[in-house]
Amino acid sequence: MNNEFIAKIEGHGNLTIDWKKNQVKLNIHEGERLFEGLLVGRTAEEMHWITPRICGVCPIAHNLASLAALEDALGIKINNTTVLLRNLMQCGQMIQSHVLHLFFLSLPDYLGIDRGTELFKKNPKAFKSALALKEVSDEIAEIIAGRSVHPTRTRIGGFHKIPTKISLKKLLDKLEETEKDAKKALELVSKINFPELKVKLQLAAQNDDKIIAVSSNNIEGRKESLIRDYKEVIEEEVRDYSTAKFGKYKGEEMLVGSLARLAVYKNYDEKYKIDFENPFYNNLAQAIEILIYHQKAQKIIKELLDSEMDKKVIEPSKNVSLRGIGATEAPRGGLYHEIVLNNNPSASSGQVITEANIITPTVQNLTSIEKSAQNLLEQTKNHSKKELERLLVMLVRAYDPCITCSVH
Amino acid sequence: MGKIKIGIYDFTDCEGCQVKLVALKEKLLVLEKRVDIINWRLGQDNNSSGPFDISIIEGTPITKNEIDLLKELREKSKILIGLGSCATLGGIPGIMDKSEREKWYKKIYGENYKPRGIDALPLSAYVKIDFLIHGCPIDENELIRIIEDLLAGKKPKYRGYSVCFECKQANNPCLLLEGKPCLGPIIQGGCGAICIKGGSSCYGCFGLRKGAEVKNLIKVLEKNLSKEEIERHFSMFLNKVNKYE
Repeated sequence: MNNEFIAKIEGHGNLTIDWKKNQVKLNIHEGERLFEGLLVGRTAEEMHWITPRICGVCPIAHNLASLAALEDALGIKINNTTVLLRNLMQCGQMIQSHVLHLFFLSLPDYLGIDRGTELFKKNPKAFKSALALKEVSDEIAEIIAGRSVHPTRTRIGGFHKIPTKISLKKLLDKLEETEKDAKKALELVSKINFPELKVKLQLAAQNDDKIIAVSSNNIEGRKESLIRDYKEVIEEEVRDYSTAKFGKYKGEEMLVGSLARLAVYKNYDEKYKIDFENPFYNNLAQAIEILIYHQKAQKIIKELLDSEMDKKVIEPSKNVSLRGIGATEAPRGGLYHEIVLNNNPSASSGQVITEANIITPTVQNLTSIEKSAQNLLEQTKNHSKKELERLLVMLVRAYDPCITCSVH
Repeated sequence: MGKIKIGIYDFTDCEGCQVKLVALKEKLLVLEKRVDIINWRLGQDNNSSGPFDISIIEGTPITKNEIDLLKELREKSKILIGLGSCATLGGIPGIMDKSEREKWYKKIYGENYKPRGIDALPLSAYVKIDFLIHGCPIDENELIRIIEDLLAGKKPKYRGYSVCFECKQANNPCLLLEGKPCLGPIIQGGCGAICIKGGSSCYGCFGLRKGAEVKNLIKVLEKNLSKEEIERHFSMFLNKVNKYE
């Protein structure tokens, strides 16, 4: 395969294929920014400012994971308004990222077009729905987090500013209107015939303080681990052909993100037949999640509108551990931030970071992308090399890898 | 005359400025009618290697391959534009000093790792750049204004006022008067003081404006902050700037 980077994925990577051995390597070329290093020496309040810059596609997820880690380290229990507003941010983030991936990066593969904007000619109604969903999810981010990319309003213990009920009501009206677009998008994706593939993987998703894993061939058998043990559960290894580490779930190839969440949460309409052994179905899972998070956003806003909104920022406790773990489900799966702070805060800028560790969803997916690619070569017969290459690239895209996240 | 040929490239970064490009939505369609985007890895499969009338580059050229490609793009492009703070200033990755990288490679990747990254620097450290579209992330309205100018054959201009000016127009309470750090007075406008509006500080992602009174601002900051704190605040986006501008 040529050495060009794979188009329409977030970041720089390519595949090398050993046709004799049916082996596929995913080379990651993104430059190292060394976020875990550059965070050291920064103030606690700067962490959630810096980490969104790991990824412009899922900045809110990094912002939320950092805030959770910092608040854990500082013994802060945020109030219910903050919980609801942050959950709303997460809904916006999921829709933003999934819409971008489905319509602009992945769908062109299935529809036989070159780029997202060509959908405008091929299926103008679907294109309009995609834009409406992008717009409303950007608005959620703008109204709650202050900006569509890289939040400005969040802070340790709460928010610098919380939205007015008038702006929330307007947002709710708009969401009620765009629900039909979420349904249309799902209808379009549910009609796709995905390429055939069968892979045995561990599908993992966070649930409260746990990491739940199920096997792709038996989603009833649940294995539970604690998030605070994330470093033992998710093992990372360095490979010489990649600037990103490769993650495994207790030694086995794992898949995180939409498909894994649906397998673990089982929160979808069963009329959609999802094949959890086939990673191409991640695209259908994303379309289902657009609707799930779209409806969840409306529910949260209604709850906020019915409540007395509390803008109080919670201060650190007296006895603090100064070490914290923050975990959140990012669009591409479980995200983990861990932080250690020094114990001599200055009056004006507070504590300073002394250690940081970050495990991103795509790190957890990289090993299984290679396994799936290998299985695809073994299981797909009567295809030319060119067709197989096209299928492999489609498979990589179906995973929606975020390579800048994976390197960070 | 054919349509203007544009290439959009990304080096090491978060790709958030390209996300902002996609966020132009319908306006992106209008733009596509007027120009021919002949290379955009994030957006399309069919890509040509130039030559280009305009190349827009996001990210910091941190690996040797990226530095080589940057030099090649300079040769192949009539106009070269930097998109976003990583490209224009070195950005957040620029917080990391070159001399510190070795230590962190060992700590994060282990002893045997062969690093790819050299140093996170702005594009201008290697080639001449014709215009910088600043911001972390970029501002859509600024982006449209600058592209409009370029398509009309005009040389785009930087805003003649500071973030501080825009912040006052937006009626935000002044952080400096509250004794908090803020770089608004010395930073070029165009962002609408969006961070301060949200309650955050200004770390200067739009870059220093011409004739900025940096020393005077430092005097004001020294009233409430230690030297270390001031330096840290400046280093968020401007760590690599003084050396290369």
